[in-house]
Amino acid sequence: MTESPIEHVTCLGCGCACDDIAVVVKRGRIAEASNACTLGAAWFGDGVVPAEIRVDGRAAPLERAIGKAAELLIGAARPLVYIAGDVSCEAHREAIAIGDRLHAAVDSVAATAAGAVLAGQRRGRATATLGEIREHADLVVFWGVDPDERYPRFVARYATAPGDLGKTRRVVAVDVGASRGPKDADLRVAIAPSDEVDAIGAMRATVAGRDASPARFGSAVDLSRRMMQARYTAIVVDGEPGAGAIDPDRAETLIALGQALNGPARCTLCTLRGGGNRSGADAVLTWQTGFPFAVDFAGGPPRYRPAGGGGSAEALLADHEIDAALVIGAPATIPGPVAEGLGRIPVAVIGPRATTSAVRAVVAIDTGVAGIHEGGTAFRMDDVPLPLRASLDGPRAALDVVRALRDRLVGGAR
Amino acid sequence: MSNPERLRISGGALYDPANGIDGAVRDVCIEGERIVAELPRDAPRLDVAGMIVMAGGVDIHSHVAGPSVNHARRLLPEERAIDPVPAPRLEDGTLARTGTGGTVPSTFATGYRYAGLGYTTAMEAAVAPLGARHAHAELDDTPILDAGFFVLLGNDDYLLRQIAAGESARARDYAAWLLGVTRAYAIKIVNPGGVSLWKSGDPGRRNVTGLDDAVGSSAVTPRKILETLCAAANHLALPHPVHVHCNNLGQPGNYATTLESMKALGGQRAHFTHLQFHSYGGERGKPWQSAARDVIEYVNAHPETSVDVGQVMFGPATTVTADSPVEYLLATSTGGGRKWVNVDIELESGCGIVPYTYKEQAAVAALQWAVGLELFLLSTDPWRVVLSTDHPNGGTFLSYPELIRLLMDRSYRDERLKRVNQKLLAGSALLDGLSREYTLGEIAIVTRAGPARLLGLRNKGHLGPGADADVTIFASDGDRAKMFATPRYVFKAGTLVVAEGQLRRAPTGRRLAVRPEYDTAVTKDLRRFFDAHATVSFDNYGAEPVA
Repeated sequence: MTESPIEHVTCLGCGCACDDIAVVVKRGRIAEASNACTLGAAWFGDGVVPAEIRVDGRAAPLERAIGKAAELLIGAARPLVYIAGDVSCEAHREAIAIGDRLHAAVDSVAATAAGAVLAGQRRGRATATLGEIREHADLVVFWGVDPDERYPRFVARYATAPGDLGKTRRVVAVDVGASRGPKDADLRVAIAPSDEVDAIGAMRATVAGRDASPARFGSAVDLSRRMMQARYTAIVVDGEPGAGAIDPDRAETLIALGQALNGPARCTLCTLRGGGNRSGADAVLTWQTGFPFAVDFAGGPPRYRPAGGGGSAEALLADHEIDAALVIGAPATIPGPVAEGLGRIPVAVIGPRATTSAVRAVVAIDTGVAGIHEGGTAFRMDDVPLPLRASLDGPRAALDVVRALRDRLVGGAR
Repeated sequence: MSNPERLRISGGALYDPANGIDGAVRDVCIEGERIVAELPRDAPRLDVAGMIVMAGGVDIHSHVAGPSVNHARRLLPEERAIDPVPAPRLEDGTLARTGTGGTVPSTFATGYRYAGLGYTTAMEAAVAPLGARHAHAELDDTPILDAGFFVLLGNDDYLLRQIAAGESARARDYAAWLLGVTRAYAIKIVNPGGVSLWKSGDPGRRNVTGLDDAVGSSAVTPRKILETLCAAANHLALPHPVHVHCNNLGQPGNYATTLESMKALGGQRAHFTHLQFHSYGGERGKPWQSAARDVIEYVNAHPETSVDVGQVMFGPATTVTADSPVEYLLATSTGGGRKWVNVDIELESGCGIVPYTYKEQAAVAALQWAVGLELFLLSTDPWRVVLSTDHPNGGTFLSYPELIRLLMDRSYRDERLKRVNQKLLAGSALLDGLSREYTLGEIAIVTRAGPARLLGLRNKGHLGPGADADVTIFASDGDRAKMFATPRYVFKAGTLVVAEGQLRRAPTGRRLAVRPEYDTAVTKDLRRFFDAHATVSFDNYGAEPVA
């Protein structure tokens, strides 16, 4: 492909999905991804990915690999289709069609943020697209997260206010145990992890005009007063699992606080989500089935069996329910427990670096990376859809391979 | 039944009001995807003697695709869990797709269920430009329906800036550009200025209250926004004029704002949507009442004005709208505990969602139900007062057959009226005993011919030569709800999609979009605006494929 920079490239290195990357290609490799952060630079790398096809560990033609994958899935009593990262929504659509036809269980990397999504299903949520934080928020509260670590350009792109707002905006770091907010915050509030949910409850009570909190929540309650006096507060929290344990009720109580703050003022709760187009997998599965993850087609129509319902890929694999799986996407993005479960059963993998993955696959078909070698659509963490641009020639497109497998399984019918 | 290239549908009673046919027995000839005047005598024939033949239904206002709809789906797993949609077995032996229903069905189920009612065209009524790419992707997964969407304008920063600067020509060029890059069909205005205020965080001004409230600049008012966009749509000769959701939706006394909005655009083509939600008398803190008569009398007297009703139907619904300040009020005014979604959409619009059930015994729901029926029954021109429930806001599209029965069957309607809460119905014309019963010809107008004409879809809504071969055939039944719920045959672009009430084929529908011309100088200024304010690159914006 061309040696001149490809502009406006969308990066899927994290959920920020920055779409201002200029990729310079020299001699068939990515020489530079300007504007990209360290995480983004690593995600683009030099753009060189394997382009092999293996069946039972040996090189094979595509046709045979697809035939073998179809055979594996048709022969399975309880198949799983797992959508991993770095594939486009167009490929997601085909993958779910396969799951539908096979009466399979379907889950995806979007389930890493299941806690936040499930809490939203119980209560709703008051949120905003990321640009609203920049345009309107005069108070930004980072709740137990410093975006610099896993979302390096979040603050620069979405939480740096223009003009007068920039001068008056205040940034608050809420440190929940070792989960600390940004170092350069204007104000810090420390909360013990065991107190977190109660402290949020006290803040919400204050917002609702009920004011009888234990003294140890004083600084949290003060923060809630500050939020009530602000015009527009953004609470930023990480939806992805981190090193420390998180109180399972945190997500819902924060949602309730955010909603309540829209009485005296305005408030958005921004839930950070990881990269690889996982928000896209959530969106596509929702529009095709009504449910964001942990969908089971075993009985025909989709059933929803999320956390606690035993229908997540992790739970199904741990229970030895699944006897074969199809992975669409980059195996490297699969969470540990799911990868572990996949290691115990025959798996077909179609995705970036499939042949070099730690998941031992009966069929492995290397494809391009969505956003590097192939176009399509991806979703930002706030559900804003963005186009992907190919900046480099790569192996066969994931979309084409998944579609070929679908045609083999479904006969192309809609 | 096979699907021949040519087909004569013979012996049915035709209701084709656009061509002046009101129940006469006529053949309808299909060749390929179109209706033709005649076919050779030996062409294949479908005998529908004794049945009723109409064009495919056209929904002028429905929420079926895009980010807001998908938020609503995600919010309500429990209602989907009890309404699974198995994969229909198609004519060729293959299985179509599964899905789930509820008030906001999954995409495939949406297409199948609309087709099952004999509807073959639908307009998604509110998509923020930022979500256009998403809306198109969902429509790609919504089979059978020819569909398009209305793109949200009227709370967007760029437009308000142009109005503040008195740049109406640039505002028009911007609207034209936006329609093109988002591949939209028409301009939708939702609570002009009100959503912008709600998002600003100004504690004293969380919404507009009337047409002359300032929005940021004193030069920017709801009135000015309406005037600017209405003039733009008409200047651009768009097939459908501005599609207006007025200020003050759902507020007692809002009929005054509605009439003022109509008058502000008097003499120009404009469409006012879900009028029922905007036709209430009374005032804040006092009992609500119906003001349907005042509003419909204005509409009756002004041929440039068109409306859809936005009927409320008893049962579960999901309110989903770009009018986010209204949803805040709904979420907090009903005793709390309801699920509530609010999404502020940068530089453009908003989104609010609250699940809601309209109960016969609830005074306000009963009033809303009555107001909608009054609008229908007092309308003197069905071509300009067409059917909608603002799906899924006032009820789902699956309730259209029941609504049709209410319109066609006075004794049924009167019986239902007796059962509803009467508290706020004093002054409603419905209580005076409106005797009108819609005829089949009038139903064909408000569900097909009228919406097609208002949308400027020349090949839809009728059965004359050259029309799209979208045809619905009903077995006559005295119970009109039953009849309209289960058409015997449905053809979409000449393909038989429903036979004997079963889905037989699920072809891909077409996209309906406009691409008006404009002075491209505006894009230079837009690039500057995007560089300064947007978080999406100008070159990635909209829904066009990128290289």
